[in-house]
Amino acid sequence: MRSLRLALGAVRERSGASGAELYVKVGNTRRIEIDPWTTPALTDPADLQAQVSVLDERGWALRAGGASRALFLADSGPLPRPNGWSRLNRHSLRPGTLRLPAPSSEMTSRTAPSPAAGGGEHPPADEETAGLTFLHEVLRRLGERAPEARLIRGRLDSGASAAVLASTTGVTGRTARSLATVELDFAASRDGRHGHCRLYRAASNLHLLSADSIASEIAERLTMATAPAPPFLPAGEVVVSPALGCNLLALLAPLLRGRDGWRRLRQLGAGSPLGPPRLQIVDDGGLDAGWMSAAVDDEGVPTRAVALVRDGEPGEPLLSWEDDGWSGFAAAGCRRRSGWRALPELCHSHLYIAGGSEPAESIRTGIVHGCYLVDRAHDGRCLATFEPSTNGGPGRLDEGRFEVEAIGQVVRRGAVLGEAPKVRLTGSVRQLLQGIRAIGDDLRFLPAPGAVGAPTLLLTGLQVEAVG
Amino acid sequence: MRSNANRAEPRPLLTSDAAAPADALSRLVVPGDQQLEAFFERLETVELLPRSAPNRVRLRREQGVGVRKIENGKSRLAATDTISGPAFAACCDRVAGTTRSIGAAPPRIRTGSWPALRLAEIEQAEARLTRAVNRRRVGFPMEITARRHRRQVQVIRSPIAAPPQFEEYFSLQVTTPWGVWGGLLPSLADEDLDPVALCLADRLRSRGLPPHRRAPGVIVLGPNAAAVLLHEVVAHALEADTLGLSGAPDQVVGLKLGGPELDVVDDPRSAPSACKRSSDDEGTAVVSRWLLRRGRVRQPLADLAWAERCPSMIPGAARRASRHRLPGPRTSHLELLPGTIPERELFAEAVGGLYIREFERGNLDPFDGRCVLRAPCGRLIGASGPVDHTGPIEIRSRAVDLLASVTAVGDRPLAGGAGWCAKDGALLPVWARCPSIRLEGLQVAD
Repeated sequence: MRSLRLALGAVRERSGASGAELYVKVGNTRRIEIDPWTTPALTDPADLQAQVSVLDERGWALRAGGASRALFLADSGPLPRPNGWSRLNRHSLRPGTLRLPAPSSEMTSRTAPSPAAGGGEHPPADEETAGLTFLHEVLRRLGERAPEARLIRGRLDSGASAAVLASTTGVTGRTARSLATVELDFAASRDGRHGHCRLYRAASNLHLLSADSIASEIAERLTMATAPAPPFLPAGEVVVSPALGCNLLALLAPLLRGRDGWRRLRQLGAGSPLGPPRLQIVDDGGLDAGWMSAAVDDEGVPTRAVALVRDGEPGEPLLSWEDDGWSGFAAAGCRRRSGWRALPELCHSHLYIAGGSEPAESIRTGIVHGCYLVDRAHDGRCLATFEPSTNGGPGRLDEGRFEVEAIGQVVRRGAVLGEAPKVRLTGSVRQLLQGIRAIGDDLRFLPAPGAVGAPTLLLTGLQVEAVG
Repeated sequence: MRSNANRAEPRPLLTSDAAAPADALSRLVVPGDQQLEAFFERLETVELLPRSAPNRVRLRREQGVGVRKIENGKSRLAATDTISGPAFAACCDRVAGTTRSIGAAPPRIRTGSWPALRLAEIEQAEARLTRAVNRRRVGFPMEITARRHRRQVQVIRSPIAAPPQFEEYFSLQVTTPWGVWGGLLPSLADEDLDPVALCLADRLRSRGLPPHRRAPGVIVLGPNAAAVLLHEVVAHALEADTLGLSGAPDQVVGLKLGGPELDVVDDPRSAPSACKRSSDDEGTAVVSRWLLRRGRVRQPLADLAWAERCPSMIPGAARRASRHRLPGPRTSHLELLPGTIPERELFAEAVGGLYIREFERGNLDPFDGRCVLRAPCGRLIGASGPVDHTGPIEIRSRAVDLLASVTAVGDRPLAGGAGWCAKDGALLPVWARCPSIRLEGLQVAD
């Protein structure tokens, strides 16, 4: 932190900037990629044809300026020494503005690294062996369940990062995270029908990813994707799994951040509730055990849980420090950088629909005649439009619509009647929220970017049709 | 008006003797099937955002090195964000799995200075594009983000150092009330901005029109659109790793994919002047590679790993998005050789059909060969050529059906269709030079 303060002093002196902020990030990633063309069933993980990368990343970003002139500069490697800013001068600042947050009373007590940062627990060689073993286990177990499955792409990343920032306004912050992600892409053919499945899962630690459940998910999705289309799709009840629920919630993200989002969300309700009384939508940058969890955001502003939708009604907007006090609402730390090269932007960290009390299993088995949709169809459409046309005219939000192509099953009184390889679920955004009839107890997070979470949901009033 | 900016190449990335790291790498190599390479990289992106944006000028610089060992088909990469002797030695230790793998003293490695910033040419982009649009007798609000990208690469594959490579190009993002246009340009000179203005004017005239859903009969693709089509259905389809998903890549040689009018070449040496390459990202000399010769597959795109697996393949098409990514076989500069048919004749036999100037997006499913191409707008073809504008057009077809439907190739090739290729999430600039083409009897997939 002392080196940052010295560097900030040098930057101000050379550039004449009234304010400046330095952000430094270091990280390491171990990546294992499996060759899709050489993956027969193997007995030993060491025989897996894998490409291993060990990546060290280090970079910093400087924001400097004032009311009329500003500069953004990012570079790799270590932060220059205080006398290493010789290229910076008063002409380095160009027209623009820079505003930086002021320190908050909460900050000094909440700048400790998050508990999620545990990247250094295992020696590197053990991590690599664990990664190879994990991927080998996924392939082996999937081979048992779906021998026809063919790998198209397999990648496992695990690593840790730490960042520190300081500004001339007195804000300081430290964050540390560890994360493991697995991205698997499989294809299968059955009776001349081709199907794909892409799975992207994350955990704060590689050892929290379960090879068995991932193999099971892939096998289930490939079975659905390669099934013949059902002759009839009942439209009454639709149960969506947490995986598809996360996709639906991610579509609504523009409604759930910033001042514009808040206005749109309020219009959406238009005097009536947004959803059922038990609907809670939350964004929490400091969520316990969350992958993105940190005491402060990437501008050093303290994070907190923000109830965006509370008891089915608009709760409070997700506002950055610049909008603190807008309409009487308080800001939260919610500006994040996608890396050291990026400027902080307003975005969610852990956006989720809070789990309900109803067992997910009972929601699924309780379908009288409807569909259980498991996930997005591979390369299927997944979009929401909040404007009625593309001609630039002001859109009416009640015309906002969504469309998702999914895979799933047709269910009658708890019994599976058949698979549905591609189903189009459409409706208005208002119908989607107001049509929630049950919320399961199996909240689950998926990487979105950021983390998006949802439990099993029972939806009504939406349009369902078979595709293809 | 042409840009008169100083285009002199910067000092080499490595100012110290490249023999030092090459010698160090050779100490690592164990006799046998082992290969080692060091990839030194330096990137600079200068970004100028619209006037309303805070931090309007954004400068990003980075440099680093990646050392890779390939042994029995398995590779091991160690990369870091610093260029120095100790950083290089640390990478060598990581791929070798030992300490002091290249000896006690790391080699002396020094880097040259960064090229001059030359911000003025980016600052002029907005005014130049506005003038180019006004020359089309239209005017509308635009928010322009201009970026200049520079990349220096030096590959050392023990014991040889490939020639240093330097690329410089620009990207533009233009936001209008009816959508966003984005693309790559070799320069910000008027001759490169004029086609952008043409696309923006087309989008203005087609704004608000409903999607064109009529089944396509005859379609004429302009050079930009033809380049995107060929990028998806020829270049991606003939990348060795794509072919490897569905069979043995070398068995595709000789396969007939299109008519005799299709001669498609990938030649990084003939890319726009500031983006030419003499060696690829593995240090292999690039070649002018016939992808299709008279409609038949001649030579798929391959890197070292694929050339090792399939001995009939020629390496030299390896590209990597950064030092932190492994290389893979990719296209750099695609050319469709011109035919003999004047452009006006392409239209004369296409009355009632569609003219598509640009595709904004394309996608090829590597497993089943289905391709999706999306155009933001199009024009109906009348007796005098393209006339009424239409809304967005989506073409879904199999790659082989798309190529089989090409019945005529124009005689006037133009540079165009440049853009970002995002295969496997690795963003790479790609360039092309194509004439217009005519498609007839296109089979539409589900």
